[in-house]
Amino acid sequence: MDSNKNMGNSVFIISLLLTLIFIVWGVFFTDNLAKVTDIIYNGSIDYLGWVYLGATLFFVIFSIYLLFSKYGDIRLGKKTDRPDFNTASWLAMLFGAGMGIGIVYWSVAEPVTHYTSPPYGEGYTIDAANTAMKYTFFHWGLDPWAIYTVIGLALAFFQYNKRLPAAISSAFHPILGDRIYGPIGKTIDILSIFATVFGIATSLGLGAMQVTAGMHDLFGVPNQLFVQMIVIVVATIIFIISINTGLERGIQYLSNAAMILSFAIMLLILIVGPTLTVIKVFFNTTGLYISDFIHMSLRLKPFGEGEWIASWTLFYWAWWIAWAPFVGMFIARVSKGRTVREFVIGVLVVPTLGTCLWMSIFGGSALELVLNSGNHDLAKKITKDVSLSIFTFFDYLPLSSVLSILGFAVVVIYYITVADTATFVLGMLSEGGTLNPSNKIKMTWGVIQSALAAVLLLAGGLNVLQTASIAAALPFAIILVVMCFSLVKGLKSEVEVQRGNKRSANHS
Amino acid sequence: MKLYQVRKGQFVYYNNELHKVYGVKPMYKLSVHLIKLRDLTQHITNAASVEKYKPKENDSFIFNHKAYTLKKERNAEAGDYILIHNPMPDSLDTYTLNEIELVETADKKGVITGNSHGVKHNEYLLMVPGRAAGGNPIDYKDKANDEDESLSDIGALSPATSEQLPSLGDIYKKKDDVSIFEAMVVAIKDQTVYLGGGLEITQEELMNSEKWEFLYNLLDK
Repeated sequence: MDSNKNMGNSVFIISLLLTLIFIVWGVFFTDNLAKVTDIIYNGSIDYLGWVYLGATLFFVIFSIYLLFSKYGDIRLGKKTDRPDFNTASWLAMLFGAGMGIGIVYWSVAEPVTHYTSPPYGEGYTIDAANTAMKYTFFHWGLDPWAIYTVIGLALAFFQYNKRLPAAISSAFHPILGDRIYGPIGKTIDILSIFATVFGIATSLGLGAMQVTAGMHDLFGVPNQLFVQMIVIVVATIIFIISINTGLERGIQYLSNAAMILSFAIMLLILIVGPTLTVIKVFFNTTGLYISDFIHMSLRLKPFGEGEWIASWTLFYWAWWIAWAPFVGMFIARVSKGRTVREFVIGVLVVPTLGTCLWMSIFGGSALELVLNSGNHDLAKKITKDVSLSIFTFFDYLPLSSVLSILGFAVVVIYYITVADTATFVLGMLSEGGTLNPSNKIKMTWGVIQSALAAVLLLAGGLNVLQTASIAAALPFAIILVVMCFSLVKGLKSEVEVQRGNKRSANHS
Repeated sequence: MKLYQVRKGQFVYYNNELHKVYGVKPMYKLSVHLIKLRDLTQHITNAASVEKYKPKENDSFIFNHKAYTLKKERNAEAGDYILIHNPMPDSLDTYTLNEIELVETADKKGVITGNSHGVKHNEYLLMVPGRAAGGNPIDYKDKANDEDESLSDIGALSPATSEQLPSLGDIYKKKDDVSIFEAMVVAIKDQTVYLGGGLEITQEELMNSEKWEFLYNLLDK
């Protein structure tokens, strides 16, 4: 117990120090931070971009292998455990946790931006619109969900079936044995915390930008950095109060409300928007996505500038990987009692379909407005200020004020719930996988993650967010690949134990 | 007054006996799903037939054939049962009101249960085996029936002998480091229990938790 405690403390202190150093650097040497992260960014893209591409494609293949493998029948937890949630709410929770704020932020901005500056070919053409939707499906489809499948399954399996602490290092028990409690395990946990803090800070940064944009649209508040800082400070105060007053249960209700509101907005747009076009976009893009999947997965530009790939595909892969310990922990928590096969279908297949549907509705409607309804200025407005994109888009639809208010509410709720749940996950990760992180540690992480989001915004907005998350996620990408092998080893031993059970029962 | 705001987790009296609400399906006539604490059997009824009871310190009741008294005097330790009466779950926890869980590990901040929940010390009441002197039995709503034979019998049993006895379909696992052995109870005659694979064993030996571990009952699946 004592050794666990010490380990927890040292993991907490080292990861806290590393993050603090980063924050101090950002506050006092802002230009230098922007410059250095830029160098790291360019370096990792030029020399190591292929690592992200290869690793992410591997996770997709690995997840599909798990779906059809002999391990599919293994139940997460005891043989008698049954799921805590019914399948519909389970899927809704997975969808909300995995995408949350990002899906609202990018669902209009991304297809329109790709339409104006596509990965290849001419912008502002019908081909560019199809390519834009195809790449949006690609960035939000199987790949992110495969990353979550791998980490969520590994965490759930080692926590529930092998009774190990809820820490990333536990997933390496088949390879490292009890060394997971030593320096190697600590390093893994520190890296996972570091990546998580950056993943969360990126999301919180995007969230603050979008909340400010929403306030600008609804109440005319200036859409400036200063207001974004105020949003971050107010949100931090709110969730610190919620941690201290035990209002976290309220957060769960809020989270459910955000899910219901999101679906309401989606249906409303489907009904009031160009329904037929949306359906056509969904079918056509699904076909393009499936047929071009391998090409998109391995696409690099060895003989030219790969700027587009770096600022889109590689940013997403890095962001999903950095975000993975957080989402994986959440998915593991709500998936006890499911079998491996159910888990993979629920985490990989269903949310991918859901996300593609969401993107078709938002992106398809936006592109229809730009292409066929003669609203060329919409494309310009959206690409000019991405954080305002969803509200700009709502302005062109019937019931725009209702949609804007609902959209704003969803963004605010996602922001608070992400910040709140993140403090719990960071607390757990930094205290040796305990399910009882202390309020002090949760509050510390709450303040730190907000400060980091603020610093990253101050240092240069979205660009530095992207740069920093790519840099922080790189070592964790390697960790995730090793985790796959460890998971297979663990699953194999579980099958052997079960077979052994049957054999010995038959012999006696 | 009858309770109409029935919620999952509440303790209620139904047919004069203590039950726990494990589900409410508002669309149906018989909307309240109950589990009888004494033997964990399931029942279904409507809101008008149940009456709420809020468990508190020193209350005693039978849970799964064994008597317990609710205490606050000490923090729970590994192996204890707890009743979560003041749930304040973290954002990732899934427990609700009045869940009874087995403690797996405990520290200063709280306990971690067999269901992988982190529960702080102020969220639960400890379930101490047996009926404490001066405790308040809450098994029946109408205390005039307190002299019910079965209740006093079970309440008086010592914890060791009041364990749930083996029944057909129970799967037991032998606690043995050398080989893995799991078997099902296929017949019971007096004190002798017949396990699958032709093994005969006394009831007493099978109940020895150091040698045998109860896994689950086949019929519960």
